[in-house]
Amino acid sequence: MCCRGGRRAMGVVLVWGMMLGGTPAQVNPNSLWLNSRGMWLSYACGVLVLHLALLSFPFLSVATVWTLTNVIHNLVMFVFLHVLKGTPWESGDQGKVRKLTHWEQIDDGIQFTSTRKFLTVVPIILFFLTSFYTKYDSFHFVVNFIALLLVLLPKLPQFHCVRLFGINKY
Amino acid sequence: MDLKWELKEMFDSLVSAPKYHLALEGCLVMCVLWLIFHKSYRPEASKLTEKEKEELINEWTPEPLVPDTPADHYALNPRIVTSKLGKRIVIDGTDCLNLSTHNYLGFVENDKCIESAIKGLRKYGVGSCGPRGFYGTVDIHLELESRLAQFMGVEEAVLYSYGFSAISSAIPAYSKVGDVIFVDEGVNFAIQQGLIASRSKIKFFKHNDVEDLHRLLLEQADLDRKNPKKAKVTRRFLVVEGLYINYGDICPLPQLLELKKKYKVRMFIDDTCALGVLGANGRGVVEHFGVSVNDIDMICATLENAMAAYGGFCCGTSFIVDHQRLSGLGYCFSASLPPLQAAVALTSLETIEKDNSVIETLRQNCQTMHSFLENIPSVKVFGEPISPVKHLRFSNSTNDYKHETKKLEAVVDYAQERGYALTVARYLEESEHLLPEPSIRLIVNALLSDEEMRQSAQLITQSFESVLSLY
Repeated sequence: MCCRGGRRAMGVVLVWGMMLGGTPAQVNPNSLWLNSRGMWLSYACGVLVLHLALLSFPFLSVATVWTLTNVIHNLVMFVFLHVLKGTPWESGDQGKVRKLTHWEQIDDGIQFTSTRKFLTVVPIILFFLTSFYTKYDSFHFVVNFIALLLVLLPKLPQFHCVRLFGINKY
Repeated sequence: MDLKWELKEMFDSLVSAPKYHLALEGCLVMCVLWLIFHKSYRPEASKLTEKEKEELINEWTPEPLVPDTPADHYALNPRIVTSKLGKRIVIDGTDCLNLSTHNYLGFVENDKCIESAIKGLRKYGVGSCGPRGFYGTVDIHLELESRLAQFMGVEEAVLYSYGFSAISSAIPAYSKVGDVIFVDEGVNFAIQQGLIASRSKIKFFKHNDVEDLHRLLLEQADLDRKNPKKAKVTRRFLVVEGLYINYGDICPLPQLLELKKKYKVRMFIDDTCALGVLGANGRGVVEHFGVSVNDIDMICATLENAMAAYGGFCCGTSFIVDHQRLSGLGYCFSASLPPLQAAVALTSLETIEKDNSVIETLRQNCQTMHSFLENIPSVKVFGEPISPVKHLRFSNSTNDYKHETKKLEAVVDYAQERGYALTVARYLEESEHLLPEPSIRLIVNALLSDEEMRQSAQLITQSFESVLSLY
């Protein structure tokens, strides 16, 4: 039930045509704000800032810092995109997306949009960089790979609106 | 020097990387490329095949923009009133005694109310021309809200510019998609529209049947026991009217309160017809039964009936009612109440507060009228004796909706010719949840004298019998 009625694609068009008159379809801002101008760049800058902040600790080696960056980024992404549900504001659609995580709300459930591709590729790129800078050490590999799986599996279209073992269902 | 060493180390480790790792990275690179070139699609979009789409398009026939309406439909031939809708009204040129508008306390022609309306008109002009959030809030709105809250004995009141939208905006402001609302079957159309707008799960219980409500609550409690996680995020509401406009009877408030406390549901009461009517001071059904107003979560009412003003309000604790200042759609997105109407409502409130004898007069009139009407053999009266809203039907009425409506319309025409204004209760037949049987909705007001009521009852007897003899 939670994923049957996706917003009409017209809703997205109507956001841009809001000035053209008439009441717009109730659009969920959560579906659009990651597409905004400069979001991707801001996201990359954010990851960079995190990395630089971790690098400023003198007692952490380069490998540890990269692993920490990767793990912290993946954990934060997991919580914000795949754990928190609904919207932090009162939406005008009577709580239709109450049970959907942010990932499921992006672009109103359309799979393989640019934002979704971007958000899937970033952890992979981060994994490549981390593996390189940790010199392919096996311990770091295990930690980073688990973190990567944690953040890649929920993004598969097969996992759309799936809740394993009823966790986080309501 | 250090940098070069670092890079050389990095390069060496890349070359001597474990094989599984390189294989994994190769897989990931392939995944990324596949991802970049994959087309986007909507998950449930491909449910229909092309053939099914063609079939659906071929079998679709457009509905007419304007559906067929019979030429004698009542809405096409409205009766025109050319006077004040007070104790007497002039309908289509005939001066009639008004037994059909909801002027319970007779304030439409009250001199003080008229004077305050004119003063308000001179001070504020004719309209507010803005929603409450955009320069539409006038000091008199705030004064009326605080006076209403004071009158009802609660913390805060929210004022709406249209009585219908008070309850129909309030329900969807609190109840959303996953929630459950228990409603009486016989609620008015405004509540029904609010329920539809809320998108919640609606459970109707039989009109004024506490046992049926208990059964539904037990069923819900069962479901909650089986799925406690879902129950934790489900909100439950109970919506009833104080005095039902479609039936003229009063809700069994004490029993409903017991159930509310036992099963922990939020209770909303629509006091549209009970404000200014029930209770010694006109505070509605809560005062009528003597229960504490703090037990009710929210009371909604209109100012359009007894108060003879315009608009509606919702009142309760600040915590509950304040939410509507941002989420009540009728509050945020409609122009606010014209200030002169707020002035009229204030005057009506003051009048009742100073002297509640008019409410007592109304109650006595209702009981007198009820006893007169009960004695008419051809007429069956529905409604409480103290209710000003009474429904009249033929004693031996059939189940034929159209036929009964025609007979009642004939009664109304007969009465109008002889100077008594009655009205058939009208509904949007396709849209009502439980369409009541056809009836004449007779309204008793406080201005009627005993003699006038006796004569009205006589006239009603005559009308019903004459129509019976024709059909």
